[in-house]
Amino acid sequence: MINTLAYGLTIGGILYIISVGLSLTFGTMRIVNFAHALIYTVGAYALIAALPFLGGYFVPATVLAVLAAVPLSYVIERYIIRRLYGASIDYAIIATYAVLLIGVDITKWIWGATPIPLSDPVNQYLNIFGVSLPVYRLIIIALSLLVFLALEIFLRRTMVGKIVVAGLEDREAVSSLGINVEKYFCLIFVIGSCLAAFGGVLYSPITTVHPYMGFQVLLLSFAVVLVGGLGSMRGTFISAFVLGMVMAVTGRFWGPAAETMVFVVMAVVLIIKPIDV
Amino acid sequence: MLLSVGKLNVFYGSAQVVSDVSLEVDQGEMIFLVGRNGAGKTTLLKTISGFLPSGSGKILFDGADINGKPSNELALMGMRYVFQDKRVFTQLTVRENIHLAAYPFKQKASEAEEKVVGIYPEIVRFMDKKAGGLSGGQRQLLLLGRALIGNPQLLLIDEPTEGLAAGIIDQVFRVLKMMKGQLAMLIVEQNLAVVSQLADRVYIMQEGQIPRELVSQADIQDQEQLEKYL
Repeated sequence: MINTLAYGLTIGGILYIISVGLSLTFGTMRIVNFAHALIYTVGAYALIAALPFLGGYFVPATVLAVLAAVPLSYVIERYIIRRLYGASIDYAIIATYAVLLIGVDITKWIWGATPIPLSDPVNQYLNIFGVSLPVYRLIIIALSLLVFLALEIFLRRTMVGKIVVAGLEDREAVSSLGINVEKYFCLIFVIGSCLAAFGGVLYSPITTVHPYMGFQVLLLSFAVVLVGGLGSMRGTFISAFVLGMVMAVTGRFWGPAAETMVFVVMAVVLIIKPIDV
Repeated sequence: MLLSVGKLNVFYGSAQVVSDVSLEVDQGEMIFLVGRNGAGKTTLLKTISGFLPSGSGKILFDGADINGKPSNELALMGMRYVFQDKRVFTQLTVRENIHLAAYPFKQKASEAEEKVVGIYPEIVRFMDKKAGGLSGGQRQLLLLGRALIGNPQLLLIDEPTEGLAAGIIDQVFRVLKMMKGQLAMLIVEQNLAVVSQLADRVYIMQEGQIPRELVSQADIQDQEQLEKYL
């Protein structure tokens, strides 16, 4: 049971880190951004590319991989997403899905389609109540809590954060105060994308890295965002861990149903509390 | 002339909502825009303040052509729009709402707070409460105070007394009266008592056009006459 709990919290932590950026962009820009999954994939591949140059050191390679998301996400926001503000949600889906497909093909062209395994960078175990747990997974859980706290402080205590919180609620009203909302949305998009890349990096040693890994996580991330509430940071946090636990517990009893159960929960939440996109 | 709108046309898709509208607002004037629901008043205000694109026509503010400029740039130029539906940032405290308005103008937070307290002293009791907990009237007064931060030259105010209780309308009326003469205002208003007591001039809006302008105080204070346009 402790193993299931730890697995659920690990998945929840990673889902939170990936989904929170999606929630921010969905909440502020009302853009369904499928390209988020590409950034997640690029994060994992950038880690693989950086590791040999950094003597196999995971932490500096992680920093480089996350930074690789900055120019890529800026270009996506500036030249694709920004043109979609206020347009029908269908256009955003089509355009960002196209970016995802093109990106996946480029990834295949550079690194090939063969899955690349990565070893546990910590490779140590902690004994809790007689159960041996990988320290790496506990670090992921701690990092997700750290990301949550950092975002809370950023959004509640800094002026930029307050602009974002206000923008999540009413973009026009922020603009009426003389604030260039698009500039801050771009910043939020880049921060959210860096977190997606960070999620890709963290998940790489648990799974294998392959060009289609983003597709797997994309729908799960949308489920997290929808269950947590569009643009709700705390909701996304709770939702990620609840759905992570749902996956872990379901998987323990019936493996093939683990992901399906996430969407059952999502459907129930949407029936009880429909959203207005 | 501070604001000059000439032959402005606005469309929603193929439907024309504003047709050949011209109006002017001079420094310190309080001008009202009166008309039935759906006459195009809010669309006109939102187009002037950069929230909606115009089909054609001229909008000059302080001598500069501002047609097509985004709302945030116009706010920095000194034109501020106060929305119809009392849109405060409910997740932020009242103080944070005020500080946010001061931020683009690099105005000191304390000075910005003083500005709002100046027109609505009772707000000091709610400074650290979430703005979402304010009543409609309190929100409206906060919005009016917030719009004054950064010393704008022109306020465009959309239905400031709509949906408010009589006592609160009096308060909003007092604030508008206090602001009168200090800066120019173009106000959409259905409350004719407010219009007749405060207006320097009134534009009547009907089906996207301005067929009449009331200039004399005798016409403006004739509420029965005004009612025909609502």
